[in-house]
Amino acid sequence: PPSTSVQTRNAILVSHRQKGNPLLKYIRNVRWMFADVICDYLLGPNSCALYLSLRYHLLHPDYLYYRIRELQKNFKLRVVLCHVDVEDVVKPLHEVTRTAMLHDCTLLCAWSLEECGRYLETIKVYENKPADLLQGQMDTDYLSRLNHALTTVRHVNKTDVVTLGSTFGSLSHIMDASMEDLARCPGIGERKVKRLYDTFHEPFRRDV
Amino acid sequence: MVQFHEHIISDLLEEDSTTKGGGGGLVIISSGLSLHKLISSLLLLHSPSQGTLLILSSTPSQRSSISQSLLHLQQNPNPSPNLPLEITSDLTAQHRHSLYSSSSIFFITSRILIVDLLNSKVPTSNIAGLIILNAHNLSETCTEAFIVRIFRTLNRTAYIRAFSDKPNAMVSGFSKAERIMKCLFIRRLHLWPRFQVYVSQDLERDPPTVVDIRVSLSPLMKGIQKAVIEAMDACLKELRKTNKVDVEDLTVENGLFKSFDEIVKRQLDPIWHTLGKKTKQLVSDLKTLRKLLDYLVRYDAVTYLKYLDTLRVSEGVRSIWIFADSSHKIFEFAKKRVYQLVQSNGEKLSVRTKNVATKKRKVKEDNNNDKEVNGSSACTNTNSGVVLEEVLEEAPKWKVLREVLEEIAEERQMQALQPEGEHMVEDAEDDNGIVLVACKDERSCMQLEDCIMKGPRQVMREEWEKYLRDKTGLHGLQTRNKKKSKNPKGFGILDGVVPAMPREDVETSSISKLEHDALLAAASEIRTLGKEETVEDNPQPHAGSKGRGKGKGKGKGKECQGNIRVSKTKELGTKTRRNEKSKISGSKNESRRIESDPVDAGDFHEDIKNSESVDKGVSRIHDEEVNATEFTHVKPLPPVHFFALESDQHILDILKPTIIIVYHPDMSFVREVEIYKAENPLKKLRVYFLFYEDSTEVQKFEASIRKENGAFESLIRQKSLMMIPVDQDGHCLGLTTSSEAQALSSQNSVTRKAGGRKEGEKVMQVIVDMREFMSSLPNVLHQKGMRIIPVTLDVGDYVLSPLICVERKSISDLFQSFASGRLYHQVETMVRYYRIPVLLIEFSQDKSFSFQSASDIGDDVTPYSIISKLSLLVMHFPRLRLVWSRSLHATAEIFSSLKANQDEPDLEKAMRVGVPTEEGIVEDDVRAETYNTSAVEFLRRLPGVTDSNYRTLMDGCKSLAELALLPIDRLTELMGGQKTARALREFLDAKFPTML
Repeated sequence: PPSTSVQTRNAILVSHRQKGNPLLKYIRNVRWMFADVICDYLLGPNSCALYLSLRYHLLHPDYLYYRIRELQKNFKLRVVLCHVDVEDVVKPLHEVTRTAMLHDCTLLCAWSLEECGRYLETIKVYENKPADLLQGQMDTDYLSRLNHALTTVRHVNKTDVVTLGSTFGSLSHIMDASMEDLARCPGIGERKVKRLYDTFHEPFRRDV
Repeated sequence: MVQFHEHIISDLLEEDSTTKGGGGGLVIISSGLSLHKLISSLLLLHSPSQGTLLILSSTPSQRSSISQSLLHLQQNPNPSPNLPLEITSDLTAQHRHSLYSSSSIFFITSRILIVDLLNSKVPTSNIAGLIILNAHNLSETCTEAFIVRIFRTLNRTAYIRAFSDKPNAMVSGFSKAERIMKCLFIRRLHLWPRFQVYVSQDLERDPPTVVDIRVSLSPLMKGIQKAVIEAMDACLKELRKTNKVDVEDLTVENGLFKSFDEIVKRQLDPIWHTLGKKTKQLVSDLKTLRKLLDYLVRYDAVTYLKYLDTLRVSEGVRSIWIFADSSHKIFEFAKKRVYQLVQSNGEKLSVRTKNVATKKRKVKEDNNNDKEVNGSSACTNTNSGVVLEEVLEEAPKWKVLREVLEEIAEERQMQALQPEGEHMVEDAEDDNGIVLVACKDERSCMQLEDCIMKGPRQVMREEWEKYLRDKTGLHGLQTRNKKKSKNPKGFGILDGVVPAMPREDVETSSISKLEHDALLAAASEIRTLGKEETVEDNPQPHAGSKGRGKGKGKGKGKECQGNIRVSKTKELGTKTRRNEKSKISGSKNESRRIESDPVDAGDFHEDIKNSESVDKGVSRIHDEEVNATEFTHVKPLPPVHFFALESDQHILDILKPTIIIVYHPDMSFVREVEIYKAENPLKKLRVYFLFYEDSTEVQKFEASIRKENGAFESLIRQKSLMMIPVDQDGHCLGLTTSSEAQALSSQNSVTRKAGGRKEGEKVMQVIVDMREFMSSLPNVLHQKGMRIIPVTLDVGDYVLSPLICVERKSISDLFQSFASGRLYHQVETMVRYYRIPVLLIEFSQDKSFSFQSASDIGDDVTPYSIISKLSLLVMHFPRLRLVWSRSLHATAEIFSSLKANQDEPDLEKAMRVGVPTEEGIVEDDVRAETYNTSAVEFLRRLPGVTDSNYRTLMDGCKSLAELALLPIDRLTELMGGQKTARALREFLDAKFPTML
């Protein structure tokens, strides 16, 4: 029936192998249901995830390889969701990294079951989301944008931004300020003055 | 030269002559003991026959002060001074090569030296030695250690000398000094604390006359200080409650120092992710509070209030301390130093707040009375019958400074009247009469200068006007602005008020409304006055506070002040001499002896100290003869030069003052004065110290001496336990003769065999972007036995094979470049050009290995969490491989395992990747250095600026300052669109929202 297909489309399909995994408790923002799937979590038509606890990996170092091999070439995005649950991570993580790399899997590390669950949820929820969020759009209000620009100058903090703004009135006045005027601002010491001034007045390209 | 400098140098030289092959040493001296002079004396001993001498990791101010004192030393014997040049990547490769062979002395940036070493562009056999400054910044994995390691394999005989005058920083980690020595292959540690016997002998033979003046804080300042300390204490208590930190170091006294942040950071970094928001906030609050204490004694009352206002806006609801009981007092008192609200019938309007107990209110009212005497002047009426009464409390030290100056002038007049005075002969010769006033920062210098020139009242008035103007955003008539200011318009919906001030609740809002109105009224009054001034074209716009109208109480106020002045002067007279002739540095163990090799001083350039020259290159002299007839003061003042300690310059030898007023006490400056006196024993030198009594200023000064002594004691202990192998270079390098020979002959200099690798195996190669040499990874890769090929890459940071390209992100980089959108872009191009694009997320060894604690994850999927961003990234680039690395060393392991079964990368191809056109290929390493990177980054973050138009913008104007003035038509032209141009122009001109 069509209703079930809609339901399955909007849910994470979980392999029966995952029964008893406490991680399932933390998938709360998306519906999930058990199904016959090869991967551990089917997140979309082309994306899937395998769950691996590092502690388990230490006991069964070949497990990951066999699971990946089962997937064959059916997915565009193959996530290995690695739960970092041991103290001494370097060696096991190295092995997992190698295996994931050699077999075209994307490795995501999480340090708690909450975090594991959140990755699964997010990949499902954002299934059709464009990448805008990654392209540098941020809060569009004036103060945020001003912060965003001025804090590129090292050591300039948000308090300094307010000081500069209220002292000079606008960004173009800030950019045009003399060293002396900058030095008069409370909280802006010698080094910050110089950094700000150089950023504004040194040419974009230096002559060689 | 002072004698102990000669001792230090002869120790170093002796060391070199007694050790076979490659001497050197690490020298740690107390701060302020003129390291620059020591270095320049050492440089003077360099002869071209030894080869080229390279100086690493110097700061610009160190370079200039070393050059300056070299010039000083050379003047007598050498008419054409021979100053070290700087080698940077601005020079071409050939030019650099010829300089390396020239047997002169150079300052060089570590990044260019390591690149040239890796490319075998340095004739290492011609290098006499390396001098490394700021040794306290070194670590095993830093570029300097990398340089020395390579350098030592190629040249065993050159010396390596490292210096530091920050002993505190030298003990900031576990046996740091020893680790630094090991990574530099240095065997000897030379410690020269201020309490070392030669040092104290030299400096205490003819100590300067010291006048210690203690100034009391005003009652309100005391109140603020107390409240800040209370708030700090409360924060510390909270921090202790978390049980996450070692309680012992968490004292208010430690909290006064910047190094406190380090202590806390070192303790909390490994568990940072497990901390809640509150703990993190506490740490940053402590930092803020420390600044508030510092600024209390540095800034005037109005500026201090302004700083508090900005804090309230920028920190807002996040801060915990803002909500603390005591912090309410901070704001309250700070305000009272500037203005208060009075009913127009004269009654005081007490701002009722729930938190303040009645008892405290009484105290405050006492304070109010004090201030009224202190001279309140103009009042401003608002329609609601509330009057804003200006208080404008002056900094207590201002008056004292003026009195000291007057006293000096008077004394001089007296001396001039009796020409037989015994000191006259000597004085006339080299006393230019300048009084040096040393302050912490440039800002204080300018303000004190104004105070002397215009009188303190005028200074306060100007600050007050500026405050009102800034606060209310009435910038329209800034008379001081030279360029015709375009009236800024509001930006979008925010043409108004920052919705800050979270504290205001219903109860107080009516009062704050009155206050708001009163401030606005005062501001608009100033505005209209400003207008009048410009209309009348008043030739003396700053002539006192006349014409400010309404100043009924003004005359009276002045009178009152006069009275106070007289009475206080008397008090000062008795108080002043209290501590005369006390030793400057009051440490008890000053006379401890740690090194004891008496050295014949005759070997050294005795004539050095005779060389006298007045350098004209002083940065900023304000020594205008001041006669403040225009103002209330009639007494003449001596010429004064204000000097900012922060500027890191050394002006004593240039200015040659006989009187120094230390306005902001600072340990290193005191030592500099001592050295200056020791070098000029015949000069009569008097030093005045201005301390705020019972203030954290004194506490901090004394603690800084204690802390430094403690650091040296710990270093002395460490030295006695040190385990430095005798044959350090051989063992630590682990070089076999064959590989060394191979290294020397091979085109790519050094290669070190990793343990267990077979002899015949090919050396792995990694192409590394030049910019990556800021990080330690290239060093560690090299240690692992990989060959490093430095080039400028357009795409990626590391190319491991023809297929694998790696973009490396430290955690903070990762968050930042996600926010700026740069990461998306970088990954996009990497995916375009390489089969296996890799994003390496590199955690730092000593920090926690995770992004956040489970409790920070939250209940919902939120767009700005790192989890969401990473998920989106991998969904959009399914081919992108992520590598999560615990540390640098783990990264190196992963790299070498990724390279297994892959071909070596192709240099030519890697360099061409992503470069838009053929002509875009710039000569190897220049590109990274040719951009003002912070300006470019800034530009790219402005609204309307995109990847497609930022280059043309950079072509169209030279700098950001120029961009700020471009008209919209021109911007449209450059940006290729009117919409984007307007977005940019509007943002630039948008009026900053007011804080009221």
